[in-house]
Amino acid sequence: MSKNYIKIAWRNIKANRLFTGLNIIGLVVGLCVCIVLFSFVNTELSFDKMYSHAEAIYRVNMKTSEVYNFETWAELPNAVGPAMVKDIPQVKRMTRLIKDDFGVTASLKIGTKNFTEDGLYLADSTVFEMFDFKFLEGNSKNAFANPNSVVLSQAAKERFFGTKSALGEFITVNNRDTLQVSGVYTNLPRNSVIDCELIYNIMDSWMGQNEYWSNASYETYVQVQPETPVAQIESQATRLIDKYVAKEGQYFTRFYLQPLTKIHLYSAGIGDGYSSKLGSITTVRSLVFLSVLVLLIACINYMNLATANSQKRRKSIGVNKVLGASRKHMLSLFYVETAILVFIAVVLAFGISFLVLPLFKNFTGNTLHYSDLLATPILIGLALIWLLVTLVAGSYPALSMTGISPLSLVNKSTKKHTASEVVRKGLVVFQFAASIILIIAVTVIVQQMDFIKNKDLGYNPDGVVAVSVKSAENRQQVQNLQNALNRKTYVAGIAAVQSIPGADESGRSVSRLSTDQTGMPIASCRTEGNVVETLKLKLLAGSELPQNIPEGDSLVYTLINEKILHYLNYKTPEDAVNKPINTELGGKAIITGVVANFNFNSLKEDSGGYMYYKANDAPEGIRTLLIRYNTQNLQQLISDLEQTFNENLPNTAFDYAFVDRHVAQLYASEERTARTATLFSVLAIFVACLGLFGLAAFMAEQRTKEIGVRKVLGASVAGVTRLLSKDFLKLVGVAFLLASPVAYWIMSAWLQNFSYRTPIHWWVFGLAGLGATLIAFVTVSFQAVKAAIANPVKSLRTE
Amino acid sequence: MIKITDLEKYYATEEVRTIALNKLSFQVQEGEFVAVMGPSGCGKSTLLNILGLLDDPDGGSFIFNGIEVAGFNERKRADLRKHNIGFVFQSFNLIDELTVFENVELPLIYTGVKPAERKKRVDEVLEKMQIMHRRKHFPQQLSGGQQQRVAVARAVVNNPKLILADEPTGNLDSSNGNEVMDLLTELNEAGTTIIMVTHSEHDAKYSHRIIRMLDGQKVTENVLSEYKSKTLEV
Repeated sequence: MSKNYIKIAWRNIKANRLFTGLNIIGLVVGLCVCIVLFSFVNTELSFDKMYSHAEAIYRVNMKTSEVYNFETWAELPNAVGPAMVKDIPQVKRMTRLIKDDFGVTASLKIGTKNFTEDGLYLADSTVFEMFDFKFLEGNSKNAFANPNSVVLSQAAKERFFGTKSALGEFITVNNRDTLQVSGVYTNLPRNSVIDCELIYNIMDSWMGQNEYWSNASYETYVQVQPETPVAQIESQATRLIDKYVAKEGQYFTRFYLQPLTKIHLYSAGIGDGYSSKLGSITTVRSLVFLSVLVLLIACINYMNLATANSQKRRKSIGVNKVLGASRKHMLSLFYVETAILVFIAVVLAFGISFLVLPLFKNFTGNTLHYSDLLATPILIGLALIWLLVTLVAGSYPALSMTGISPLSLVNKSTKKHTASEVVRKGLVVFQFAASIILIIAVTVIVQQMDFIKNKDLGYNPDGVVAVSVKSAENRQQVQNLQNALNRKTYVAGIAAVQSIPGADESGRSVSRLSTDQTGMPIASCRTEGNVVETLKLKLLAGSELPQNIPEGDSLVYTLINEKILHYLNYKTPEDAVNKPINTELGGKAIITGVVANFNFNSLKEDSGGYMYYKANDAPEGIRTLLIRYNTQNLQQLISDLEQTFNENLPNTAFDYAFVDRHVAQLYASEERTARTATLFSVLAIFVACLGLFGLAAFMAEQRTKEIGVRKVLGASVAGVTRLLSKDFLKLVGVAFLLASPVAYWIMSAWLQNFSYRTPIHWWVFGLAGLGATLIAFVTVSFQAVKAAIANPVKSLRTE
Repeated sequence: MIKITDLEKYYATEEVRTIALNKLSFQVQEGEFVAVMGPSGCGKSTLLNILGLLDDPDGGSFIFNGIEVAGFNERKRADLRKHNIGFVFQSFNLIDELTVFENVELPLIYTGVKPAERKKRVDEVLEKMQIMHRRKHFPQQLSGGQQQRVAVARAVVNNPKLILADEPTGNLDSSNGNEVMDLLTELNEAGTTIIMVTHSEHDAKYSHRIIRMLDGQKVTENVLSEYKSKTLEV
């Protein structure tokens, strides 16, 4: 019996090439999207689960007090970890992780070569056991046995030393420390937030030697005894604050534990942390939602096409029933047919997924490997999808068609099946509503991205390149480089600063009087001056910071933005000039100038308080030269900069960044979202069109006789086309009415993520409606015109 | 074998109620060959649907093989139908996607006959209908006469007691039509009861008795040749 079903189903599939083709293409697109996205999601969800102690490892995070706006931080004082191990018996061990120089790119000198490195960490030796390090050279026990040892990942080793052994080789970091390689470990898993490329012993550095509760820069991981209630450890840890920290030094109020396996996806809103591999659960959720939507549209397509097509099969269903087939027989036949078709689609989609993977990467910026597609959950998922799609997509045609009475065969006039028609129309409306929502969403996202790109930031990041000088051997080298660059014709201005805007400023607070209890948290940036000119800041009052400060002058000169001005309660910028300000910088400080607010952070956040300062005894160093250039030839610019740099800082790696690209980086995730959403929308609309195309073909066929009669009676081709298209356009109209408020609601919510946002214009809706109508019209009229120009004699003869 | 009494059937739309069968009564003996004639719309097809257990009457009684079947639900009717009744249609109603063999095999599948037995019986009936050489062809590859022979083969493969034929020669030329009528006569002579709806006086002459209908009622009944029940003969 089942052999028979398969045989008949297969012949049906073969007999209806157009429908089979449209169906398979639709399903393949939907499934392909699903497969690629599910493997992306699967990878995201797999983060850090491979470690043998994964369930017992937590990152300690802390809640700050009012002084830091009650923020949550992932970086703690370096005393927290040791105190937890000492005072809380359930804490088995801990490791602190901190990037060299607080995360500024390191300059490495190996032999005669210079390298830049972002993955240089300091850690406690416990890190090796907690995170299952496997050593290729050396071993975890002795890795830090000797002072100034460093271990490297296999990838780093190959980059620095090629194929030869690295053990015993020397690496000079930032022209400061010289470390000796004591081990090489296999690369850390791709799906881990632990992304160390080089690790040296924190206890070799002042960062580990002295324990303090003030500076919070250390990511701290603890491994707890199994079965320990987390809440208990958290409250014990929080009690350490009162035990070790004087009241006035308590700028944090609570410690809590974040499971290792949750760090990758659930760290939104947690400040800092060093890992370069943070994802977002929101992204994962929206991608899952979108892929399910596309798949659903493909399923609906299938239902529409199959039902439309099965109208043609009334006869065969009727004959079967007259001959004694039960409803169960017929249901099995339809489901077998769907199962075969979906199986073909799944296999094709799986194959195509491998081909489109690089495309997906290019388009969305999300990294996926071929092996991710072969993960067990994906393969099990494929089988489940096959089953699910068969059941969902096959259900409507199977249930509706097998209900056909055998009478329909012998009754010459076929009754109209209004119920199934209503459902089919409903499905088309759903498809188009989803497509219209996607069109509106994409338009709003693109508008917002444009808005951000073109918004006046309050400074001009275009045409500025930042060159790192933090590893200069001495101050004179930097001065020489600056002098050399000033002679270049392409240089329009240079500012020596601590950080490019929004990267590595120091968090401080300012207040009007030193007696004020809480100040305003701000970003402060040391500079040697010339920032207004170089960054094109808008000076509202006062002047640039002084070019030269006489030796022995202990005054701190500051340049503040309006946010600080208003906090300090000055009415106008002029009022503030030459007035004192309390800065936590030690010594007296005065306001030299006031600049307009500028967006040093992402426009998702409101711009906060910002202060440039210049002083003789500045606590921060000069790490970057911001160079405004006036040439279009960037290749020439960089090669000339590099040459000049190497002449003046021969032992330091040349590391540069364009400031506008740094700004663009702030929106990288939105940019990715925009591109991904666009891709999905195009695919969803494409699939929806396939369904519409098939449906229109069916409708035209069903009305062949009517069209013939109308033509005999004098209807024109245009008239007939209009007749056939009208019904579909009505459906698109209904879809538009349903979709618009939903889209408005979704996109308003999305725009809430941004402090600066574009309004949702009415024409966006018009555009989406018009777009959908046009697409539907083109799709339908193709069939309509075909039906309209057919010879009426032929169509009348079909009866 | 069949006894209908005061059979009624209506078709109602929102505005009009059409009477298709109006208190129709007659009997058909086992082994009889009866032709039903009448103008379009007189209720012939409705009658055939009810006799074929495809449709349910709105009133009256329908006794089939001694069982009152009026009011049977679809499942019960289907069960009775697949074991007792074969259909021959004017437009053949063969399934285009199935070969000649598979079309004829279909009723046997639904009555649960084993594959080996199915093959034997299909081959026998195809042989009998002289269409064996076409067993692997699809319906579209056959002439109208051949298609109707396949349809007849399909109707008889289950050895039904009753064959209902709805204008079986309507789509055939006269020589093919005569061939089909000869086939039906042969089947009748072998013991199968046949009720045939037709417009053709020529075809009707093959039967034992002609029932003429108008507006859902029986108007006349001509007995062409005296039918003697085979059971009586024995």
